[in-house]
Amino acid sequence: MLPIILLSVFGIVLLFLGFLKTRAVLLPAALLFILIALGAGFLEWNKSYLYFGDMLLINNLAILFSTIVLISAFMVVALSGDFLEDEMAQPAEYYAILLFSIVGAMMMIGYENLIMLFVGVEILSVSMYILTGSDKRNLRSNEAALKYFLMGSFATGFMLFGMALLYGAVGSFTLTDIKSYILLSHGRPSLLLYMGELLVLIGMLFKVSAAPFHFWTPDVYEGAPTLFTAFMSTVVKTAGFAALLQLLSVSFSAIYGFWWVILAAITALTLLAGNLTAVYQNSFKRMMAYSSISHAGYLLIGLAALGQQSRSALVFYSLAYSLATISAFGILLLVAKQHTTDGRPDESYSAFNGLSRNNPLLAFVLAVSMLSLAGIPLTAGFWGKFMLFSAAVDRGMVWILILAVLMSAVGIYYYFRVVIAMYFREGQAGRIRVAPFYQFILIAATALTIILGIVPGLFQNIM
Amino acid sequence: MNTTYLPSDYLPIFIQLVLALGFIVGSMIVSHNIGPKRHSEKKDDPFECGIPVKGDARTPISIKYFLIAILFVLFDVEVIFLYPWAVNFKGLGMEGFIEMILFMGLLLAGFYYILRKGVLKWE
Repeated sequence: MLPIILLSVFGIVLLFLGFLKTRAVLLPAALLFILIALGAGFLEWNKSYLYFGDMLLINNLAILFSTIVLISAFMVVALSGDFLEDEMAQPAEYYAILLFSIVGAMMMIGYENLIMLFVGVEILSVSMYILTGSDKRNLRSNEAALKYFLMGSFATGFMLFGMALLYGAVGSFTLTDIKSYILLSHGRPSLLLYMGELLVLIGMLFKVSAAPFHFWTPDVYEGAPTLFTAFMSTVVKTAGFAALLQLLSVSFSAIYGFWWVILAAITALTLLAGNLTAVYQNSFKRMMAYSSISHAGYLLIGLAALGQQSRSALVFYSLAYSLATISAFGILLLVAKQHTTDGRPDESYSAFNGLSRNNPLLAFVLAVSMLSLAGIPLTAGFWGKFMLFSAAVDRGMVWILILAVLMSAVGIYYYFRVVIAMYFREGQAGRIRVAPFYQFILIAATALTIILGIVPGLFQNIM
Repeated sequence: MNTTYLPSDYLPIFIQLVLALGFIVGSMIVSHNIGPKRHSEKKDDPFECGIPVKGDARTPISIKYFLIAILFVLFDVEVIFLYPWAVNFKGLGMEGFIEMILFMGLLLAGFYYILRKGVLKWE
């Protein structure tokens, strides 16, 4: 609870720091604020409390998810040095909105009352709409923001309607009340409950870009400034899956038989749509958008096969995915700046040609993150997939497992295209200058990916 | 009091709805059909205070109007919170007072931010 209050205050402080003559103080201040929030979160470790009149539940799972969100945000902010040089940029506002959006994400992670879920989703989404359109002079960015806003508010409408129906059936918004209502209904809960659950699920699945609600993702991810794409594809996804896990495991585990078929079908559809479309992309950034859809599919396996292992598997996978994604986008930011086509950064695969010759470190970082996303052993991504798949085995969902393994094989094809471009193609990439702190963040993310890949037990001890 | 309602209990509302819709649709159809129609250049012109029409309506409008309007709505809605708070002031006690101070503090911080950003500077 403390991080939520702290980050809200820090966001306002950052807005006012923007009035200072120098912009140099903004980046360290934002990083410091996120670190303080990270530390404050652990004060509540091993204590489980309800806050704000049973609105918010902070337990170890919530703290772990919040930690992933804060680490992702820290890395994204650390990679944002460019803003300070750009005349048109408004760094104070960007950082403030990022901090506010983390508050929204934390509400989504720790909610106990559906109202809190709605408020959290709205805080996070509205911040994302603004940041997507923050490149005001870029038509693509404007289009992406408008698309995201229109479709996102439509999806939120579904979710709100679902919550209203749930209230109609249960007479309460709290998760535990919904649970006890289902248990007391002797297997015959009101039809409103089923419809409400489905509508809330639709709204949430839209936010995590699961098929068939994924159509906004490629356009929005491509149009948004790369840095905010990295934020969107990690923080929003982690928070969205934490919220889904909370909803399904606390409230609806008693009617698992009803929703698992629907979620399994959506999982299969998401895996197919994400992976098969990613193969045909020529832009690296657009490929990453489809890759984020396909990872939503892998994470959904953990929900469809909800069980003992799901929690730790989802946390581990979110962490592995966030680390790899942010370092991939970090490299893209650097490489795209080197080549411009029509005055825009070149984000196609060919921009990476011959990167390993003059920039072996950057090529290595990107290669490791691609391996992790593809799920190759000795990286964190492998263990993430392994844990999710074994959760599916526990539930006996063999067909979904076969599909997921096949789709990972497809994934190897498109992730390795960029690796091949970097190591085996000829290119004229010169030496790219990287700021020391930027380099440190990239190395840290890569090291963490490899460490978690070699000793995943480190992490499981914490759980 | 009767707490269960049958669909037939909503009949008066339904009749009211049909009458309201029927009046609008009916009067539109009747007035279109019985009124005489004479077209001329002058008659088909959009009328605007007797001034001849000039140019297109889709002209860019200064963003300032929009900003002022949205800020007005923002502060207006937030000030509305003061009314229920004032009515329940005694019941809420010290805690309510502190909460309102906090709320007003945030509001004023936002106001100061707007001033410093120069949103209200017209020229």
